[in-house]
Amino acid sequence: MAADPVKVRLQSNDNAVIEVEKKVAERSLLIKNMLEDLGETAISQTIPIPNVTEPVLRKVIEWCEHHKEDPPPTNDDESDNRKKTTEIEEWDQKFMQVDQEMLFEIILASNYLDIKALLDVGCKTVANMIKGKSPEEIRKTFNITNDFTPEEEEQIRRENEWAEDR
Amino acid sequence: MSNFKRAPQPGHAMAPRGGILSVLQATTMLDSKPVLPAEIIATILDYLPVSDLIRFARTSRRMREMVYDDTRWVPRLQSMGVWNEAEARQRFEDAMKRKREAAERGAASSGPSPITPRVTNTTIFDAALEEERQQKPVQQSPQAPEVRVDGFETLTLNSSQSKSPYEDPETLLDVLKTVKSIRGHARPEYGKVYGALAPFYFDLVEAKSHVDPVVFRVFRDPDQQARMLNNLFTFSKSDWAQGWAQREEKLSTMASVFETAVLREFEQGYEFWDVDGRMKKYAHVLHALNGGSAAMDLFISKHPLLDDRDVLANSMDCVNQASWENITLEPSRMFFETLAKKANEQSSVIARIFPNAATVFWALLDKLQEDVITDYVTSLLDELHRRNKASYLKAVSGLFEQCLAFARSLHPPSGSAEELEEHARLIALHVFEQHLDLYLQDELDFFTQHAEREVTNWAQRLSEQDLTAESFYMSNFNRRADKNDFLSSFKKVVMMPVTVLPFGGAAAKPAATPATNRMSLQPNGVPTPSTSRPHTPGLGNPLERKESPLPSEAPTDELKAKAALMASRLEGIKTLCSIEVALDLVAQAKTSLGRVAMFVRLGGQAGGEAREQCEAIFISLLKTLGHIHVKEGFVKAVDHLSLYNPREVSDHSQTGVAPLVTFIELVNVGDLISQMIDVFYEQQLAAPKIADRNDFLDPAGLAKEKFEQMLDESVAAGLNKGIDVLMDEVEYLCATTQLPTDYNPPPPSEEKGASQDFDIGPSQTAKRIKDLVSSHTNMLIGSTEKTMLDVFNGEVGLRLFTAICKHLKRQRISTEGAIKLIADMNLYFDYIRTLRNQDLLAYFKALRELSQIYLIDAKHAKEMATVIADGDRFGGVFRAEEVYEYAQRRADWYQVKRNVERAMYGMDCSVM
Repeated sequence: MAADPVKVRLQSNDNAVIEVEKKVAERSLLIKNMLEDLGETAISQTIPIPNVTEPVLRKVIEWCEHHKEDPPPTNDDESDNRKKTTEIEEWDQKFMQVDQEMLFEIILASNYLDIKALLDVGCKTVANMIKGKSPEEIRKTFNITNDFTPEEEEQIRRENEWAEDR
Repeated sequence: MSNFKRAPQPGHAMAPRGGILSVLQATTMLDSKPVLPAEIIATILDYLPVSDLIRFARTSRRMREMVYDDTRWVPRLQSMGVWNEAEARQRFEDAMKRKREAAERGAASSGPSPITPRVTNTTIFDAALEEERQQKPVQQSPQAPEVRVDGFETLTLNSSQSKSPYEDPETLLDVLKTVKSIRGHARPEYGKVYGALAPFYFDLVEAKSHVDPVVFRVFRDPDQQARMLNNLFTFSKSDWAQGWAQREEKLSTMASVFETAVLREFEQGYEFWDVDGRMKKYAHVLHALNGGSAAMDLFISKHPLLDDRDVLANSMDCVNQASWENITLEPSRMFFETLAKKANEQSSVIARIFPNAATVFWALLDKLQEDVITDYVTSLLDELHRRNKASYLKAVSGLFEQCLAFARSLHPPSGSAEELEEHARLIALHVFEQHLDLYLQDELDFFTQHAEREVTNWAQRLSEQDLTAESFYMSNFNRRADKNDFLSSFKKVVMMPVTVLPFGGAAAKPAATPATNRMSLQPNGVPTPSTSRPHTPGLGNPLERKESPLPSEAPTDELKAKAALMASRLEGIKTLCSIEVALDLVAQAKTSLGRVAMFVRLGGQAGGEAREQCEAIFISLLKTLGHIHVKEGFVKAVDHLSLYNPREVSDHSQTGVAPLVTFIELVNVGDLISQMIDVFYEQQLAAPKIADRNDFLDPAGLAKEKFEQMLDESVAAGLNKGIDVLMDEVEYLCATTQLPTDYNPPPPSEEKGASQDFDIGPSQTAKRIKDLVSSHTNMLIGSTEKTMLDVFNGEVGLRLFTAICKHLKRQRISTEGAIKLIADMNLYFDYIRTLRNQDLLAYFKALRELSQIYLIDAKHAKEMATVIADGDRFGGVFRAEEVYEYAQRRADWYQVKRNVERAMYGMDCSVM
């Protein structure tokens, strides 16, 4: 390839076109596979990312830029019988300091674009948000409607009493 | 497993989600808050600690379902090693069967049952869960009712569960053992464990110092504390929320603080040798905590046996108590015996202290081997290696045997015989591993050197004797009877080695390791390879077989006697090749092989190396014996043969050509050696499976083949030469001893009377030639291959025929002499008949026929011509021209010539 890094153009939901290095874009398995399948021709074209809005896309690209030198994700983690959770890197923690809406959008976008590492970071961040919250607070955070009857609610609380914090 | 349960999930999941959206849209509380799909929520849940997870379950039915799912809990149980998939499947199948039966019953009683789930607004999964839950108490109650009561149900009553587990600490210790593998119930099962252990776990993790944790306050007994800590370790494996690493570290710090304290107690007990008290107690505590390796290490590293003065004998005793150049292994045997006794004492002590006695015992033994035995052996061997090679070699194998016997005589606290054998092998291997390479190399070098020295010594002695040698054979060779005797005793010895050699080896071995010593070790050792070996079929005579079970002295002596006898008989060929040397080399090789073969039993790499070395020794034996010793002999013998000139030898009275006789004897010796080698190979290498007879790439087999080939070639080359020499001798005899009057006696009328001597027997010359040839051919019988013998005989016959023909053409034969000639020819014919060679017989038959032409009276020239022209008469051996040529040898040829020619060619004279 040429010395100049190859660029690809991504088009967001709201028609903003963002040019990124191919290498950066390939952090997304979706884009990577697409480029591999289409070959050289795809590079000159604009790739539409219909599910993602411009701010979110920019945010995701920012993350990809920072992590472009990471080793490719290993595929054996699924077989590894649930790896123990590792801590979130400091940079990622800062990166995730966004409002909840944005956080969810990032998670959805990384899920759609198939960027596993980003998805993991997002999920861990959400998990940290949930920690220590009461069921009612969780419902609020996730927009969950309580469809339990009060009796049911009491029963479920009782049968899981063992798990309550001291 | 979860196909059944998962299947309804997506469909079910859609409904509340749609509900949420519709609610959202309807209320427009927040304009466009994104909603995470179920799979992402599932991923998020993976990262939640258990308490948050359960709280999450309380938000809605859908979330509860997700949280309760088995896939979330089974891995946790698995990580603690308490989930049994087979058991779970069995339970599930049982449950399914019950349900099917129930469903059939239900269908029979009330028709439209499928609606029921929808009416009650629960999923099928929940229904199944509910049903199983009802069955659960039935299944569980017999096994662990207390756990349910104390660790679980009472919690709900007390509401502050942190106190209740402490009320019955004993059950908490066993909580991990009571876990069941039930599908759909992984969460409650995990809950039981969590309820029991989590309070301790988190408390411990947050504790500031080792006195704080509740664990140490609730349980006072160190044994219980250890078990609880062990449980917590197991439990920590199922903790994979963020921060697990710190928690685990904290836990191990606490545990090590505890371990150190217990270890100190153990050590104090150790100092007072309080075996059944403190030592036993704290060893068990440590075992409960983490397998007790710390106690084991302490116990072993401080063990008094390791620096017991009684045991630590001076290895130099073995050297000092024996004379220079020699070594006695008696002190080392004592050493090993004392050690075994002490170790066995310790074995019972260990059994009293440790719950995992066998492990500790073998660890102690390993240490003992490392520190005591290896030191002893190494210092001894190093010293010996410096001093004397031969005794070093003896010591290595002897000590190895003793070490193996020592290890076998141990009584471990538990474990099977095979385990003991395996450990014995390992101990011996470890002790000798460092010496093995050196030893194997030395053994081979030693043997090669010894063999070469023997052969060179012998060669040197020989060259000193060379001058006298010539007269030696001269005086030796007319003792035909002696020779026959020694040939037969040769054969006997050829037969002997089959049964004798092993004993010879057995006799040689005690020389390596003193006999008493071996005897005392033998009972539990492996029998010497020689006694257990199967006999080569057909060779052992009944007497020998009877003797074989007990290694009696007799055969050895017999062999020695034979060897001595043979040596004296073998004077004649002593200058070429010595059977004594060969025997000596074979015995030496056997000793070396026997020593090395012991290491083959080690197996693995060391055993493989030992095996290779065995083969190397064998190859070296063949090389020295074959290529240096025997071949040299053959070369020399052939030299002698080629130098032989009948004209230079004054005395032709004997029936043998000296160098040829020597050579033929050499062939016999070579054959003997070859057979010895073969027997040796069979018994020393093939029978103990050191070399594979069927492996054509096996170096030992190849070397043996090469040796035999070399022998055959040498024999063939020598025989070729031998025939030449033999025929030279024949011709010489013909030329010098045949009197002209033999075949052409002076006309009786001219002499005194017709009765002078009219013996019709063969002439002296013929007799001597026949004797000469036959004695040589007979000597070869049985000593070489039959085909080679046939070829040799054929060649001899043919050459004899040519020689006689040539001889005949030089004679002048009268009609009277023809009788003698015929007698001679009959003699040759009879001799040739004994060779059983049809082709040869035809030649000599023709010769016999030919001799008859001399008998025909001169008056019957016509008949003579008919005979000459009759080709059939001579079986195609002679053409008419040739017969004619012979006819010219008639004494009266010039008288009969005319008539004969006329009869043959008609009126030829007229042409002239």
